[in-house]
Amino acid sequence: MQEGWHTYWENPGDSGSPFEADWSANEGIIVENVQWPTPVTIPYPPLMTFGYEGDVVFPFKVFRSLDSELESISLELDFLICADICIPESASLTLDLSSATRSPLVSEAVNNLPKNFIQTKSTSDQKKLKVTFQSSEPIDSAYLFPRQDNLFRYMPTQKLVQLNEDTYEITLPVLGSDISFFSGILSIDGKGFQVEEELQSPSNMSLWQAILFALIGGLILNLMPCVFPVISLKVLSFVSMGGDDHAKIRNHALSFVGGVMSTFLSIATALIIIRSTGSMIGWGYQLQSPVVVGILTLIMLGIGLVLLTNINFAAGLTTLGSSAQSRNDYSGSFFTGVLAVVVASPCTAPFMGAAIGYALLQPSFATLPIFLALGLGFAGPYLILALKPDWISTLPKPGAWMETLKQFFAFPMIATALWLMWVFMVQTSGDALILLLILSLILGAAVWMIATFKGRWKWVGMMITAIAVFQIFNNLPASSNEIKEDASAESWSLEIESELQAQNQAYLINFTAAWCITCQTNEKTAFARDRVKKYLAEENITYVKADWTNRNEDIAIGLAKYERTGIPLYIFWKPGMHGSKILPAILTEDLLIKSM
Amino acid sequence: MKLFINLIASCLIASISYAGDIKLQNPTTNLQAPDFSGMNSYGEMIKLSDFIGKPVILEWTNHECPYVAKHYNENNMQTVQKIARDQGVVWLSIISSTPGDQGHVSPKKANGLTNSRGAHPSHVLLDESGEIGMLYGAKTTPHMFMIDSTGVLRYKGAIDNIGRGMQFFDASFAKATNYVSSQLSNLVAQKVLTTGSTVAYGCSVKYNYD
Repeated sequence: MQEGWHTYWENPGDSGSPFEADWSANEGIIVENVQWPTPVTIPYPPLMTFGYEGDVVFPFKVFRSLDSELESISLELDFLICADICIPESASLTLDLSSATRSPLVSEAVNNLPKNFIQTKSTSDQKKLKVTFQSSEPIDSAYLFPRQDNLFRYMPTQKLVQLNEDTYEITLPVLGSDISFFSGILSIDGKGFQVEEELQSPSNMSLWQAILFALIGGLILNLMPCVFPVISLKVLSFVSMGGDDHAKIRNHALSFVGGVMSTFLSIATALIIIRSTGSMIGWGYQLQSPVVVGILTLIMLGIGLVLLTNINFAAGLTTLGSSAQSRNDYSGSFFTGVLAVVVASPCTAPFMGAAIGYALLQPSFATLPIFLALGLGFAGPYLILALKPDWISTLPKPGAWMETLKQFFAFPMIATALWLMWVFMVQTSGDALILLLILSLILGAAVWMIATFKGRWKWVGMMITAIAVFQIFNNLPASSNEIKEDASAESWSLEIESELQAQNQAYLINFTAAWCITCQTNEKTAFARDRVKKYLAEENITYVKADWTNRNEDIAIGLAKYERTGIPLYIFWKPGMHGSKILPAILTEDLLIKSM
Repeated sequence: MKLFINLIASCLIASISYAGDIKLQNPTTNLQAPDFSGMNSYGEMIKLSDFIGKPVILEWTNHECPYVAKHYNENNMQTVQKIARDQGVVWLSIISSTPGDQGHVSPKKANGLTNSRGAHPSHVLLDESGEIGMLYGAKTTPHMFMIDSTGVLRYKGAIDNIGRGMQFFDASFAKATNYVSSQLSNLVAQKVLTTGSTVAYGCSVKYNYD
């Protein structure tokens, strides 16, 4: 091109157009898309365009099958050539491959192509994208040419900062929305490198927001199916205290709150410690261990039996709901608090996922306040009760109905135990389940012995149970890692999202586990419904299932990409969307279809 | 003290505006459109806020730009102008080319072009300094802006979905989605438009950059 004239790169910048090449060739010969050389900035202040000045070579790769004839290939080229003004031009070119010789110009152009990728690490907010990269040699100037045409404001220069000896940072102003992905060519002192980066979704949550979410999530957690029975018993015990003096009610409520808070604190501490060893863990992770599931099954069953048989232990489990008679023994209330949190672990309430995800992926100092907020939200209603003990009189008067209701609550507890048995079976095997059922039998006998006999026999019952639990869990058959495949779903892998996006294939990913009751409920109320299945088939949406019933580092990393450490998590993407979208944690048929 | 602060503030503002740093603004859709005034081809001062009560469409144009030329040669721009004017829209064609550069015209030439091309603008504004163009962040010709009757900016971007590629020059306007004409009824109804912003394509606006 003559001086002052230019043509454009694939993203021309604020105006202009890249050329369009239409090759025709005989069968057996394929011409690939052009390989774009490293562009330069062509400023027309206040506008900025990207392209080429002077002489430029655009290399095309031509492939031929072995049996193809070396014939002519021809090209229809439409291009825009501009100085201050633009002229659309077109050209027809023909090349006879049989007599073509390689020009040194082409070799040089191919050598100078930006072929190598440079590793970048970027962060973005609403205003700017900061890209860091490394270079062993000192750098004078750098410019990142973005391939996407509506993400950035194009500037004459991009601010370059040397962070340390070999690390540099370049800043691009963003047009307004968060950047989840960008690609382009990074020109370092005129030498081009390919750049492509999927950003860790920028944390658009502040610590305060996460704490607020934790508070709300904790409060809602009270209503989740795993917690509800335990909580109802606590409420019942408060009802029975209707006539008691305020100090006692306050102390019971505070003991309960203390139990809740210290358990959340222990969980947070444990998570911080385990995380510092580098393992990817999250909410509910303890349920990935069949031993924990087994013990939890027995606890649930035990509570159920105790409620039914109406026995009265001096302390421990049985003060649940029966504190009217109990003396000033607050350990029962404390323990109920602990228990409520322990049984809550399979449940994720709305808002909780995001808050815990934030807590675990941020530096450690953020973890504790968020878990404490979660505990505070969870224990909130009882804390209020501690502050205003006279509000208890607004609850119904205690009476015989409470005994009946208490017995009734045995059934949700036993139902939870049954569900945990199923989880246990999925994690281990049918043989192991039989062992757990035998244990349940022994537990039943022990509870009966404790209820029926006095004195020494009570201790014998407890001993038998303890020994049996220890023996059986010690000899548990190795857990099976084979999760039953869901025939209607693709199985998940770490790369599946980028693969499907590359194929322009819409997808829905379901992160689930047998022990996650919120997930299981969603399966039944949404994913398993015919209408949803039909919708997925009609809209050609690939359904992917990531089963986290057993420990799986890859899935933990996959969750971390969405700043989550727990499930459920539902991800949806279709062509045309910039980044994938997180669907609500609690789904119905309608909601699921509507949110796609 | 207050006077002192004011003094410093005005110095700062002055230094910003006289830094010679020409900067394109980027107005936000669904917020009040920035007000401006400019000279039309009959030498009258036209002010955007005078049209409150009527929707306004801004069209950046440059009759020598090949992109604009195709829109006018195939009667596409005129058709959209006619549809809009029939619905009570004020259509402002704005020329931000600097004197001596492509697309810059005298008032007389501007009126001649309107007649010879059978165009239907309410006014043609001659924005030689590029002030209005930069206020709106107009990058290309054509570049379209739609403002509703309450003065809220509802759309900024390309006129249609053909896009910047060379395919534009062979494309058929009849098959394309025209973002302006297809969204007129919602503009008149003062609604948030389905497509609020797109990437404009065409020749660069010939601002004074020397």
